[in-house]
Amino acid sequence: MQIQVKCSCGAEKCPEWAIIELQGVVEVQPSFRDSLQNLQIGLLCRPSFQENYTFTVGYHELTGSKVALKKPMLVLKKIKRMNVDQSDEATSSSKVELDVVGVIRQKILFKTRPKALISGPQPAVKEKANAAGAAAQKQSV
Amino acid sequence: MMEQPQPCCKGAQVMLNLQPTSSVSIQYHPLFGSHDDLILLELDEKLLPDVLYQRVTLRGQTDEDAVLCTKSKTYSVKFVGTSNSVLLVPPADYSTSCKNSRDCDGEDYEQQIGASVIKVAPGNMELVEVAPRLDKLKSILSENLYSSDEALEKADLDSMERSKRRLYTWDDLTNKVQASDDELRTGLQARSAVEIDGYWRIVDEKYMDLILRMLFHNSVLNDWSLDSLIEDKVVSVLESDGFPRKLAYHCLYVYGGRVEEAMDRGVWKMDARRVCVHFARGILREGKRKMESFMEEWMRMIPEEMQVSFDMLEGEVLTEKLGVETWVRVFSVSSLPSTPAERFSILFKERPKWEWKDLEPYIRDLNVPGLSSEALLLKYTRRTQPKVDAEPVFTAR
Repeated sequence: MQIQVKCSCGAEKCPEWAIIELQGVVEVQPSFRDSLQNLQIGLLCRPSFQENYTFTVGYHELTGSKVALKKPMLVLKKIKRMNVDQSDEATSSSKVELDVVGVIRQKILFKTRPKALISGPQPAVKEKANAAGAAAQKQSV
Repeated sequence: MMEQPQPCCKGAQVMLNLQPTSSVSIQYHPLFGSHDDLILLELDEKLLPDVLYQRVTLRGQTDEDAVLCTKSKTYSVKFVGTSNSVLLVPPADYSTSCKNSRDCDGEDYEQQIGASVIKVAPGNMELVEVAPRLDKLKSILSENLYSSDEALEKADLDSMERSKRRLYTWDDLTNKVQASDDELRTGLQARSAVEIDGYWRIVDEKYMDLILRMLFHNSVLNDWSLDSLIEDKVVSVLESDGFPRKLAYHCLYVYGGRVEEAMDRGVWKMDARRVCVHFARGILREGKRKMESFMEEWMRMIPEEMQVSFDMLEGEVLTEKLGVETWVRVFSVSSLPSTPAERFSILFKERPKWEWKDLEPYIRDLNVPGLSSEALLLKYTRRTQPKVDAEPVFTAR
């Protein structure tokens, strides 16, 4: 089998995507779990001229910085095309293609654990340095 | 290109171009979900143009691990998981590009402010350059050799008969074999494959033998020099002898090479080594032979014009001493697997101890990206040197 990697965005015009990377998982309050769309996670701030950032999630504050990826990362989208040619037998074969939809060159990395903010409104989403949640996933290198 | 600050208010752009002393709201995208169809692929900067200009494909059967092929190289694709949360933020107009989605109406899009997270990526794919997996090429092409029978019956073969045989077009091969186009082409050439009626075939050695002998026979009859054979003449004479035109060309191609200076006139020079190896294999096909009788028969078969030496057979035959006699038998590097572990295992099964000069022809074609031949030897052999001035000997590790 052969899967063609396409690039419908047109090479140089390939849009840049971004990554926010943080430790643990972002946990949503149970009452919001079914309606995540458009729900605010937090506020990303650049307090100074340096490439340092804070990310406030609920009453937690993360401190991190913008880093260039060592190697670029492409965002590929898997596309299934049903074979239009139905004259063939029952082999309704679908063809898979991969389409490049973006390229990632930078991420904002929060590699430390969150600092608790003393007071604040009750948040809809909280960041949690969740050791158990993290351990359930595969460890990276 | 992203460095210049642009006053945009949404998506990845605003996040990456965030001005000092400002902030942006990060929220879940209107289309937030698991999006298993979105894959992250990490790759070297130098491979980027290949992908962006649509010069790469993924190849492999469902029971194989996929490889990514550029025009000239093969890479294995591995998933690397992460325990961190990787929040993926698309550009602002991403949702508008997905026309089929119900959720993608203008209303949701309007609601979007700041930067939106479309999915949490569990990890990414990584590429590691690997040797092409060409062993399969030989095994599938050997299922159905092109023989003299087929050449003679060719006209009678109806399409039903033809479809029953397992034959492979170039497209079939790229679908089946995990190698880049260049590597596949080199692999076909190394195995002396030829495209006949749109299918890539290996020609039965016995049939090749017939054509080659006829060519030599004709060269004597017509007083042709084997160093400057005129293509048109050779091909038309072989054709009149009953060989398909394509196979006549193939014979020149396999056992000779074009003479550079006379490219336009189509002049060929027969390659002594390839011709000599061919006849040696023919003699030894039935089994091992005593050195003297082998040499005698071999010399007799080779055209007088050609210089013969036993060294030509390195990587093709092995000799062994039994009592006072030396015996020769076929042991061809082209019949060995191309992965180092399997190759060394067979070599040490064949002989527990190897001297360097014997071993070298059987391992010099091993190709493992990032691993030198010294590193291969360290990994798979044990090197001993009985005396300081003695030849090193290699045994299994």
